[in-house]
Amino acid sequence: MEKQWNNFCRELFDNGGYKDVLNGLLATVEIAVFGLIIGIIIGTLIAMVKVVPKYKILPRILEKVVDVYVGFFRGTPMVVQLLLGYFVLLPLLGIAVDSIIVAIVIFGLNSGAYVSEIMRAGIQSVDSGQLEAGRALGLSYGKTMMRIVIPQSIKNILPTLGNEFITLIKETSVVSFIAVVDLTKAFRQIGAAHYEYLVPYVVLALVYLVLVMLIALGVKMIERRFKRSERRYSK
Amino acid sequence: MNVDTQNDDNVLIKVRNLRKSFDKQEVLKGVNLDVHTGEKIAIIGPSGCGKSTFLRCVNCLEDPDGGSIMFEGEDLADMKVDINIHRQRIGMVFQQFNLFNNLNVLDNITLAPIIVAKRNRKKGQTVKEIKEKEQEKAYKLLEQIGLADKAKAYPSTLSGGQKQRIAIIRALAMNPKVMLFDEPTSALDPEMVGEVLDLMKKLANDGMTMVIVTHEIGFAREVANKIIFMNDGVIEEENAPEQFFAHPSSPRLKEFLSKVL
Ligand SMILES: Nc1ncnc2c1ncn2[C@@H]1O[C@H](COP(=O)(O)OP(=O)(O)O)[C@@H](O)[C@H]1O
Ligand SMILES: [Mg+2]
Repeated sequence: MEKQWNNFCRELFDNGGYKDVLNGLLATVEIAVFGLIIGIIIGTLIAMVKVVPKYKILPRILEKVVDVYVGFFRGTPMVVQLLLGYFVLLPLLGIAVDSIIVAIVIFGLNSGAYVSEIMRAGIQSVDSGQLEAGRALGLSYGKTMMRIVIPQSIKNILPTLGNEFITLIKETSVVSFIAVVDLTKAFRQIGAAHYEYLVPYVVLALVYLVLVMLIALGVKMIERRFKRSERRYSK
Repeated sequence: MNVDTQNDDNVLIKVRNLRKSFDKQEVLKGVNLDVHTGEKIAIIGPSGCGKSTFLRCVNCLEDPDGGSIMFEGEDLADMKVDINIHRQRIGMVFQQFNLFNNLNVLDNITLAPIIVAKRNRKKGQTVKEIKEKEQEKAYKLLEQIGLADKAKAYPSTLSGGQKQRIAIIRALAMNPKVMLFDEPTSALDPEMVGEVLDLMKKLANDGMTMVIVTHEIGFAREVANKIIFMNDGVIEEENAPEQFFAHPSSPRLKEFLSKVL
């Protein structure tokens, strides 16, 4: 046990493992952060397609498209989506893209499918009277959504979005399937040096745990700030 | 005698044979109404008779099923008109105030005017100038209702009466040609009804064209120059206030008045 710990420390500090770990941590966070941002943008657009009145033909067509999109990304595993994107779609398109970019895009697309449901619930949590008031002032549907309804729904769904972020952080552990060196891959390499995995994987688990706890804390703080900003001018 | 053609120049909104159904329920069964510039029309009637639906159809918050709503030379019931342009000139005040909860009072008032002013921006005018001009205007309106110190407050911190008065000046900030009120005092605690009605009286005295759905019979009698009794999806009776209350002709209006007076 002590030998394993010493081997681990040697790999991590003396043989430069820490560099991979730091880079891996960066990759993990990058994929999750940018994936979530893309996810929020896509999810918001999908949610708007879902809630817009369906008098006209265009919204109805869009809804069908969106249903197929959401069905695919929720109905297949993330790993399969990564593999399809990296090993099938990219060669088909004949373009060379860094694998971490592919990971970010696929995570964004995938997250969009989930965020759309969260966002729809958020939009419906804002009373429709405010939408009507915006429309009655002559603002377009899109403008009213963007300036009035969406900001309030994001506030209402902040805790759920925080959970989505945590889910993304954890799910990034599969990106080594497309040759991204993330946190998990970095620790796997350390273990592989001596075929000793006990210490590296326990430490890996702890790192994820701390990361997730920090994010949860951050979300709580943002939430509290949002609440305060409304109360500040109470007189 | 044709009253319509006589005063045609003055007719701001001309509603003809307006119809609206929800599923199978026919709520508006052919409503006709002329709103002349400067007129104050009060609409009364039993709950569920279609007063809100009528008002909401006038600016197409509900799409009418039939009939026409002529406003500034265009038929708003025609789905092809750019309704947003017309809505900028038709102010609406709701029973539930409907202030934007994510914006402070000042931004509530200036949001729409700034967007419109940006779109119609004159050469050389900066966004900053537009904003400052609209904010100045908003402050003036707030001062008129004695709420300038609430400019930076959020709606959740205001009383119902304050919210409704701000909702009214939010509509006014668009310089509307006409204001529609849907039971503006019905959601208020009794002690706050007065401040909202006072503001509406002031508006009326300033010459604003107003269509007001209300249960405040006393207010209607005092401010309106025409009172309309709506019942079961049609206008059953309309008259000047003295006549309306002194000599109601429809039996249902008589019955209604006996309940509310
Ligand atoms: N969006 C809607 N969907 C279905 N029914 C509605 C809707 N809005 C109003 N109604 C119905 O139309 C009738 C008239 O409603 P409303 O115009 O609100 O009456 P009032 O304002 O005179 O009390 C009521 O029976 C109401 O239930
Ligand atoms: Mg009503």
